Amino acid sequence: MSRDLNIKVHHLTRVEGHGNIVVNMKDGVLETAHLSIVEPPRFFEAMLKGRSFHEAAIITSRICGICSLGHQLTSLVTTEDALGLEISEQTRLLRRLLVHGATLQSNILHAYFLAAPDFLNVGSVFPLIATHKEVVLRALRMKRVANDIGDIVSGRAVHPITPVPGGFTRIPEQAELLEIKRRLLEEALPDGLETVKTMQALAGAIPQFERETEYISLKHPAEYALYEGDIFSSDTGLTSVRNYLEVTNEFVVGHSTSKHTRYNRGSYFVGALARWNNNHSQLVEEAQAAAEVMGLTPHCHNPYMNTIAQVVEAVHCILDSVRIIDKLLEKGLKNEKPNQTPTRYGRGIGSNEVPRGILFHDYTYDNKGNIVAANCIIPTGQNLGNIDADMEQLVPEIIAKTKEEITLDLEMLVRAYDPCISCSVHLLDVDFIE
Amino acid sequence: MTQLTVIGVGNRLRGDDALGPLIIDALANQADPRLELIDAGSDALGVLEYLEGREQVMLIDACRMGRIAGELVQFEPAEVNLILTDDPLSLHGLGLAETLQMATSLHLLPPILKIIGIQPETTQFNSQLSAPALQALDQAIQQVYTELRQIAESIIGET
Repeated sequence: MSRDLNIKVHHLTRVEGHGNIVVNMKDGVLETAHLSIVEPPRFFEAMLKGRSFHEAAIITSRICGICSLGHQLTSLVTTEDALGLEISEQTRLLRRLLVHGATLQSNILHAYFLAAPDFLNVGSVFPLIATHKEVVLRALRMKRVANDIGDIVSGRAVHPITPVPGGFTRIPEQAELLEIKRRLLEEALPDGLETVKTMQALAGAIPQFERETEYISLKHPAEYALYEGDIFSSDTGLTSVRNYLEVTNEFVVGHSTSKHTRYNRGSYFVGALARWNNNHSQLVEEAQAAAEVMGLTPHCHNPYMNTIAQVVEAVHCILDSVRIIDKLLEKGLKNEKPNQTPTRYGRGIGSNEVPRGILFHDYTYDNKGNIVAANCIIPTGQNLGNIDADMEQLVPEIIAKTKEEITLDLEMLVRAYDPCISCSVHLLDVDFIE
Repeated sequence: MTQLTVIGVGNRLRGDDALGPLIIDALANQADPRLELIDAGSDALGVLEYLEGREQVMLIDACRMGRIAGELVQFEPAEVNLILTDDPLSLHGLGLAETLQMATSLHLLPPILKIIGIQPETTQFNSQLSAPALQALDQAIQQVYTELRQIAESIIGET
């Protein structure tokens, strides 16, 4: 079909120039299809240079309210790698519990507050409060349990304070963990399984779009990798986190102030769908069953299904959290002090799976324990090239639709990736009623 | 015993957006048992957790109000239009306005909710608090204590 099409959606318009979808088609030939977004690493090094190893995680946790825990734990792992700080099995388990809480919270909020309104075609979560109040309250109940995991394990849910290099400054009490376990089983699990039913009912509204790409995530020999592991590419397999620069290969593109990444192809996918594709057999059985119910199959190439993979992970996080708590209590909680005696100073590289995908931190310390160089590559930066490539294939496939329908499909695509737009400072915009 | 919950919202790394959390820090130094203090950081949706079940809440945030930098305005949600993000592309688009809207619709708002808005000069990443914001910080703290005095007077008035 020969057609002219010009789409320019200014999202987050209060932040000039950021979060825009731009599509231009002339005489049926697609000239442009891309998303422009700003990411934080430009000032990452400036914020960390000269800071001591005690401060790095605190600062990075404040970059972004939503991605706080992911940055914090990745920062700790990076510092420990650089300074040769060994951590205990108990620390590892408590951190995994924290990651599960954060993943559960983010995935559920994304599925209910961003994806579900799309699937129901109601524009935003607000009409749902009137029509599906119980469903919104269910989302908030799950958010609360997830939040309370953060409160109990890390001291504070929003800006965790007890996780430090080498361990924790406070270990949760047995009674606190038992109470969280009870709520996970009695509240979060039934809500999680109801969520699966809700998403199953909505699955028909998920756009059918396939584009095979490279899927990159961490992989761990013993568990579904969210905390620690090696880098795994669906194209070429395993490589060490130490080689992350060879995987990310950041490069500058004209239309975006943030760099894009590529490994074996022009772009790659990170996030829940990549983790699912690479590691689905390591999920708890109930999560694998949930995937089947919702129509998510291994080697899924539909980016819109990222939301479904998030719900699958939510079920996994609930049940695996219970397993972690059981393991902690079985071993008996030990009042350990964090190991903060460096055995070396130099470069450290850390990586974790945060809700939006694989995250890398890279610090170099001088022999006083202060940072002299720092780098950070966030999931959204890694997905930008893949989103553009999706758009380039998608627009010609749906060109018979109206401009409004095409715009909605593109917005839904971007929302499926749930990009981090940390430049969207959360200022309240207020109009006074005169 | 807690009489007033004060929630500071904002990002400590972003110039005047740090006001909310910094005011919480300053109040924490006073260790006043009548105050429950919450640094909500820049996770606006997280504020939902601290509204339900509270009687009296003050929310402190940098607000774009079209005023001069450092100007402080106290208002209640019903007195203003809080501008919602149109079609957010990500969870990052759900801010305090959306959170308050949600809390209103779900009847989770506390009986008394006052917002102290401070017009910021700059919210650039890695910038310091501006001089006008520094003055507003002191003013906001005084405002919290004025509120506490009013609560005390109303308690005496009732008895």
